[in-house]
Amino acid sequence: MADEMQAADASEALAEIRNRQRQVIDLATVPSWYWWAVGALMVVLAVGVDTRTSVAIGLTVPVFVIGLLSATGLAVRGQFRAAQLRRGLLDGRGVAAILAFVAVIIGITLGTAFALRGAGVSYPATWACLAGGVVMGLGGPPLMRTLRRIMLGNRAGSPR
Amino acid sequence: MTAARFDDLIHAPTRLAIVSLLAASERADFKFVRDTVGLSDSALSKQLATLEQAGYIEIHRGFVGKRPRTSARLTTVGRRAFEQHVAALQEMVAAAGVSILPR
Repeated sequence: MADEMQAADASEALAEIRNRQRQVIDLATVPSWYWWAVGALMVVLAVGVDTRTSVAIGLTVPVFVIGLLSATGLAVRGQFRAAQLRRGLLDGRGVAAILAFVAVIIGITLGTAFALRGAGVSYPATWACLAGGVVMGLGGPPLMRTLRRIMLGNRAGSPR
Repeated sequence: MTAARFDDLIHAPTRLAIVSLLAASERADFKFVRDTVGLSDSALSKQLATLEQAGYIEIHRGFVGKRPRTSARLTTVGRRAFEQHVAALQEMVAAAGVSILPR
C-alpha cells in the first residue's frame, strides 16, 4: 500500500493525525471565566484575613475552598473522563510558562500587600489580591494559548 | 530519530483517527473516541478489537460507581508503530517536496 500511495495522500493522512490530536489537546483548555473566578475567590479570602475577625475568617475560608473546588470541577468537568493528555505534550517550556505565571501572581500580590501595609493603607491584603486577581484574569487566557501552542507543536506529525 | 515504517493496520482511515486520538492521550474514554470519530458502538468495538489483537492498544473495562466505563490506551508497541508510521508519511511528503502545514 505504501508503494501505491501518493505524497498528497500522505500529506492528507498527516493532516488527519494532527487534527485528531488537536481535538484531544483542546479538551484541556481551561475557560477564561475560571481565572476571574479564582481571582475573585482570592479577594474573598483576603477580606477575611484583613478583617481579622473569627467570624469573617470562618465565613471566607469555606467560601474560598468550596468555591475553588467547585470552579475547578466545573472548568475541567468531563475532560479527565474523556481523555487524559499524554504527558510528553507539555514539555519543559510549558512547565516554565506555568511556573512563571504563578511567580508573577505571587510576586504582584505579595509585593503590593507589603507595599500597601508599609504605607499604612487599610485592607492591604484585599487590595493586593484584587491586583493579583486582575492579573490572573487577564493572564490566564494567554497562558492557556501558550500551553496549547506548545502542545500542538509537540503532537505527532508536526513539522520539525 | 524514529525509524520510518509504513503500517497498513494503522493507516486504514478509521483506525488512523482512533490511534491519533490515543496517541495524544494517556488513555481515552470509549464514548469520547466513539463520538469524536463518529462511529457506532459496534463499529468502534470492532476496530479496537483489531488494534488490541495486534498488541497496539490495551482496553480497560471498569466501573465508576455502578456505571461501566471502558477506556483504551496505546501500548508501547502501538505508540512505536504509530510514530514509525508518522515518520514514513513524513518521508513520503518530504521526498515529494510537498509542504507540511499544521492545521
